[in-house]
Amino acid sequence: MNNDGQLCFSRLEKHYNTRHVLSIGRLALVPGRIVHLTGRNGAGKTTLLKILAGLEAPDCCDVLLDGCSRSWQAVRQRLRRDMVYLHQHPYMFDSTVADNLGYGLRVTGVPRARRRQVVAVMLERMGLEHAAQRNARTLSGGEQQRLALGRAWLLQPRVLLLDEPTANMDTGFRQQTWTLLQEMLNHELAIMVSSHELSESECPNCLNLHLQDGRLNAGPPSLHLVGQDRSRSQEVLGVKP
Amino acid sequence: MDSLLQPTQEAFHLLLTGDPDLWTIISISFRVSLKAILCATPFALLLAFLLAYVPFPGRRLLVSVFETLMALPAVVVGLLIYLLLSRSGPLGDLRLLFTQTAMVIGQIVLCFPLLVAMGYAAIRSADRRAWETALTLGAGRPRAMLTLIHEVRLGLLVAVIAGFGRIISEIGTSMMVGGNIAGHTRNIPTAIALETSKGHFAEGIALGIVLVTLAFGLNLILNLLQRREAQAV
Amino acid sequence: MKRTLQALLLGWLCFCSLNVPADPAVLRMATTTSTENSGLLKVILPKFEAGSGLEVQVLAVGTGQALRLGCNGDVDVVLVHAPAAEQKFVDDGCGVNRHPVMYNDFVIIGPPADPAGVAQSKDAAGALARIANSRSIFVSRGDDSGTNKKELALWQKAGIIPSGSWYREAGQGMGKVLQITAELDGYTLTDRGTWLAYRAKSPLKICFEKDPALYNPYAVIAVNPKRYADANYTGAMTFIGWITSREGQQMIADYRVDGQVLFTPLAIPNPGAP
Repeated sequence: MNNDGQLCFSRLEKHYNTRHVLSIGRLALVPGRIVHLTGRNGAGKTTLLKILAGLEAPDCCDVLLDGCSRSWQAVRQRLRRDMVYLHQHPYMFDSTVADNLGYGLRVTGVPRARRRQVVAVMLERMGLEHAAQRNARTLSGGEQQRLALGRAWLLQPRVLLLDEPTANMDTGFRQQTWTLLQEMLNHELAIMVSSHELSESECPNCLNLHLQDGRLNAGPPSLHLVGQDRSRSQEVLGVKP
Repeated sequence: MDSLLQPTQEAFHLLLTGDPDLWTIISISFRVSLKAILCATPFALLLAFLLAYVPFPGRRLLVSVFETLMALPAVVVGLLIYLLLSRSGPLGDLRLLFTQTAMVIGQIVLCFPLLVAMGYAAIRSADRRAWETALTLGAGRPRAMLTLIHEVRLGLLVAVIAGFGRIISEIGTSMMVGGNIAGHTRNIPTAIALETSKGHFAEGIALGIVLVTLAFGLNLILNLLQRREAQAV
Repeated sequence: MKRTLQALLLGWLCFCSLNVPADPAVLRMATTTSTENSGLLKVILPKFEAGSGLEVQVLAVGTGQALRLGCNGDVDVVLVHAPAAEQKFVDDGCGVNRHPVMYNDFVIIGPPADPAGVAQSKDAAGALARIANSRSIFVSRGDDSGTNKKELALWQKAGIIPSGSWYREAGQGMGKVLQITAELDGYTLTDRGTWLAYRAKSPLKICFEKDPALYNPYAVIAVNPKRYADANYTGAMTFIGWITSREGQQMIADYRVDGQVLFTPLAIPNPGAP
């Protein structure tokens, strides 16, 4: 791991009106590792992911990118290019599966011939060749998930940010997702996955982070609860104080 | 029943034999209204998009203003533009009054609030995720805007068709700023008013048939498109 | 992509660009709906256009609006039939070179049965008085037109202020008013020209006519070039010259509707005579 390739966010703050939503000292994204971000509903996971993706503006934040520390505003465009955010139910554009897959390439000016080639390869890889010319909205949930991942993968991003990709899904779906993520992982890609479920992790090598009261804590959630919620959570978990 | 049947028969006869006066009137109507809608639409859609996606103070108020302007009667718009374009008015030197250009201007003013209000509603109805997805996949903001417009294209088309329907059949503005001059600014609605006031009901009905056919055709297209959208979702 | 967008934008701007017409060969004339409805202009204007090389654009509106258009400089010449208003038009400096052109007359039409006994009146004012007294329905133009002004002048002469449910102000052109009068089985004042055009389709008939008070003179006035330097004054004067010439006046005299003479030339009373 090369220091120049490190992506690090520090002093990240976000308010909604008077409510303090995020207050994070330091967050580093390591290529080749999957970060599992947990936290209750409403803890701010989506907000954090969107800030990292350049889609939502924090109140302040410094970004260490390629050895240079800049403000979030200054690197916003770069973030949008290098990070891809996936919604819990990814949005399908109202066109064919092939067009959806190639969207990112099209808007970044990749010539048509090359685009077609690359899209064809991805269609096969994701098992979607049979549906290439169908409207993407007719795909099943699982197929749409694969399309969304393929669409992001084609852009060769630095970081993939998935917002609760497996919430309320059956085991088959979860396994498919985690398998794909492992496949995609390489020494240039970092992945961050959020979920609100405290217990499971399909990912034994994941780095665990827990978002609570706007702060990030490392490690499995049940051992690092701090603040006012501690006694309550211990109650919920059945641990005697 | 006779008083209805006979002029109707004459009307069909006039249309089918290609009566030149009639077809001049019809072509003026289409030329003016098509030009107006084509000029107004891009600007109106851009404004609708800005209203929907760019937060600025007074945004909600501006939207309400456009929604209210939709209800402005055509004759009021006509009067205002007449006062502007008249030789004794501020823009009199342009010598635009009683020309097709004046009618186009009038019809642009007439359909613009409708296009903005309905365009705004259509764009607001778009899934927020569409915008975010476009951006995160590398689209710049102008490109993301085009993508969004593509996503809600049906709703926008409905707005355009509604706008066109309003201006092709309006008489208040055309009459006031066009002057109903034969061969120049006499379009379908002003001609119908003139012919019926002269008691030439056959001509009035013939032109009415053209408008009804057009309205029917547009509605048909709209229904087909809406059904297609329902299937695609 | 960017280049396509730029090309599209340029194309759209060109398409929308205003084309400013400035045609000296065009003469804009405001006249009244009744003049237009009589069909006279359709017959005589082509002859004028062929001879002068001018294209005449006719705006047929109410007298009040026609004169307003003249005062605003939106037309070059007006042809109306409202002597008092015409005088004011000239006095106010809106128009110059007023010339009488032709005249026809007004008639009072009503139901064939003539319930108000209008046919027995000695004069037009008396006829209206009979209608008021019998509270028969009377439909007024109500639109400040030449016909309307004549009607109000007659009411004044009869010493009556018309009001009540029997007096209906339509605010419409003459053709429309004739239709309304027929539907309501009432009376109205109309110029003979429009009446001749509608006679065949109407169940009503002429109940009173031929009172000198019903005289309806038409005049042509050029819009004042001192006020609007780019009004087509030469064109207006060419038209005035033509319509008061032997040729123009003869055409007016020759114009027939249903075999009936409609207008009598005023400028040259006997244009055919040597």
